[in-house]
Amino acid sequence: MKESFKGGHRTMARPSFSWRHAANRTFLSKYSHHHIAVFLLTFFSYALLHASRKTFSNVKVSLSSQWTSFPFNSSVFKVEPEEIWRSIHLFPNTATATLFLGLLDTIFLFSYAVGLFISGVIGDRLNMRWVLSFGMCSSALVMFVFGTVTEWLHFYNKIFYCTLWSMNGLLQSTCWPCVVAIMGNWFGKAGRGFIFGLWSACASVGNILGAFLASSVLLYGYEYSFLVTTSVQFAGGLIVVFGLLTSPKEVGFPEPAEEDENAGSEEDAHRPLIINSDSDEDEQNHSVEASDLVRQPQAIGFLQACCLPGVLLYSLAYACLKLVNYSFFFWLPFYLSNNFDWKEAEADQLSIWYDVGGIIGGTVQGLISDMLGKRAPVLTVSLVLAVGALYGYSRSPNNKPINAVIMTVTGFFIGGPSNIISSAISADLGRQDMIKDSSEALATVTGIVDGTGSIGAAVGQFLVSLIQDQLGWMWVFYFFILMTSLTVVFITPLLVREISALVQERRSRILAG
Amino acid sequence: MGSCVEEEARRCGDGKKLRQRRPDVGEESSERHIHTERALAILSVTTINKLASKAMAAAGTELGWHGYCLLLALLAVCEVMAQQVCSRCPGDLRNGSEVASFCHSNPKLELKGRCCLRKQDGSEVIAGLDLWNCSLTHMDTELQNASTVVVLDLSENPLQNVSDSFFQGFVYLQYLALPLTLDCPGGNVSWENISVDTSERICSQQKDSCNNTAQLTLLCPENSLCTPDGPGMSQCLCAAGFHGYKCLREGSFPTIMFFGILSFVTATCSLLLWCTQRWKVKSS
Repeated sequence: MKESFKGGHRTMARPSFSWRHAANRTFLSKYSHHHIAVFLLTFFSYALLHASRKTFSNVKVSLSSQWTSFPFNSSVFKVEPEEIWRSIHLFPNTATATLFLGLLDTIFLFSYAVGLFISGVIGDRLNMRWVLSFGMCSSALVMFVFGTVTEWLHFYNKIFYCTLWSMNGLLQSTCWPCVVAIMGNWFGKAGRGFIFGLWSACASVGNILGAFLASSVLLYGYEYSFLVTTSVQFAGGLIVVFGLLTSPKEVGFPEPAEEDENAGSEEDAHRPLIINSDSDEDEQNHSVEASDLVRQPQAIGFLQACCLPGVLLYSLAYACLKLVNYSFFFWLPFYLSNNFDWKEAEADQLSIWYDVGGIIGGTVQGLISDMLGKRAPVLTVSLVLAVGALYGYSRSPNNKPINAVIMTVTGFFIGGPSNIISSAISADLGRQDMIKDSSEALATVTGIVDGTGSIGAAVGQFLVSLIQDQLGWMWVFYFFILMTSLTVVFITPLLVREISALVQERRSRILAG
Repeated sequence: MGSCVEEEARRCGDGKKLRQRRPDVGEESSERHIHTERALAILSVTTINKLASKAMAAAGTELGWHGYCLLLALLAVCEVMAQQVCSRCPGDLRNGSEVASFCHSNPKLELKGRCCLRKQDGSEVIAGLDLWNCSLTHMDTELQNASTVVVLDLSENPLQNVSDSFFQGFVYLQYLALPLTLDCPGGNVSWENISVDTSERICSQQKDSCNNTAQLTLLCPENSLCTPDGPGMSQCLCAAGFHGYKCLREGSFPTIMFFGILSFVTATCSLLLWCTQRWKVKSS
């Protein structure tokens, strides 16, 4: 790290260097192997978590089959022997089993949301490495009991399942605030949009990984799908203990600067990356170490965090947006196979394009917001376009390539902003100037934003099934459009503030020079 | 395979317990109870014998020495229980009866009370059983232990209303003599030959219920195959390679390989990251 800073300094001393080249070089050399390790560890921690979450949705068919007796059951033809075909009747038929699985999803989302509010606060007070590792290992154990142990013991009980699944939601919620906070500790505001945009692909990568792991061992029985994903998740938790550095301070590096004010122009956006003079750096280093010795930063209170500027508005906006985003996550394959009569496996594969759009959208929009220095305008433009994309998608013809393209575009405009709010903006909010150096707020703020979002998602699951049942799919899309517009409404005050700040900056710059 | 054998052994034990508790379960007890008990009883004798040879092969490798001994002991217990029915009525085989001629026709069959026994997969099972004039009023679970029987004489007994499902699992049955009050189990379509004389009804040559053109045969669900299960009855057993509830599972999970690779990768990653990342961390 020290060397990289010196490198940056040297480029400054040589005016013949092209500016962009220097900026690129420093951009890369700014990041040490610690940064890469932290990026990958947090990325895969959350990806593994999402992988085991995906396992549950991928083995639903096997689960409902395991919980019911053979349906063909008249008095004339009884499929014998009873041990093989009729010994388990937790549910009278597959439809009720499916309802119960939906209930488990809702229970999970609600306890996850509640857990996020709590675990963010915990994460800021305890060592995040241990909190993250505990969350991963304990939720792996709970899922192992849920999916594997109950099957091995032939113990099927609805209340037991519900209890385990709500515990799983609570335990899993410890991870997201921690990984975002750790990422926020390592990667400063400059470049955060791009890095976090790329990083927030972890959920989608986890989904793909989970689908792959679960399906490759499903033939041995669904319990082995759980066994494999939870074992891998547990192993990930152990690796986190041994390898994760929660903050640059742990190895004596300064925390990245949150240069917010002078990121107006393109030139300024890159300035914090290269103008660290030696004296500045030393001072910063010194001060951090000194403060380390003197006192640990005080963790922020829950209500205090809620009152930070932007937190409440972004939380509400994210609730609406995550509702739409998660509805796509949960319902897209079902919608495709239902509406277009496409095969379930094909619909599953096709729905990956939404994730792909989200990854690209998050990265590209993050990059643009980095260059602009403001995130709200990018989000607003993207969400306005999302309304159009949603309308277009609802009228998509029965044609797989066209549908996939519109799906990717929709993912780009909805998944992108969603990824940015949940990661980059949460980190911005938790490390804003108001509480800089005085308190630990990152995990708490992330917990609040994502927790509110998860409540929105949980309510959404219920509403989507209701609307689809009563009014049809078209109204589901109108509902999505309404929710996206509502997101824009919540962002508008922030947009106005950021735009006026931008204008003011321009004006003062023109006056100055 | 190991777990399979254990399961069978467990079932045998359960069956024994049930029997001890209620020595003769009559028609009046709940249908569900009969059903379970029958299933257990049948499994205890037929399935365990069918499985015995496979079990023996697997026992050495997967069950270990203790498991092997336990299995043998359980098999012996099942066998003794099955043969109680031979001494249920006094006397030996009736000369001139169909059972006697069947039992004498093959010198390998061992005579015991009113039975003759044959060796099957290392244990002795009932092949012929003559319960002629035995004052039986109903069929009980003890009789169900005789499901391996080939020739069975129940004539001259005051039997009433024996349900078809009593004969579930009697797959080897080729000759059945019944009092006139009873019809052939599975109906006329389940037997090649039915004859009636003054005192008995004789059902002979059981038809394969899975390839029977005269009646609707059961279509078995995915991954399972139709197997005869007594006169007019069939069951769906998992096809080769499939096992578990609803035959949903295939093969066995490579547990050792999986955990071996996972622990190796975990240890390597942890070590590598510890050395490169957390080595220099100052403990606060």
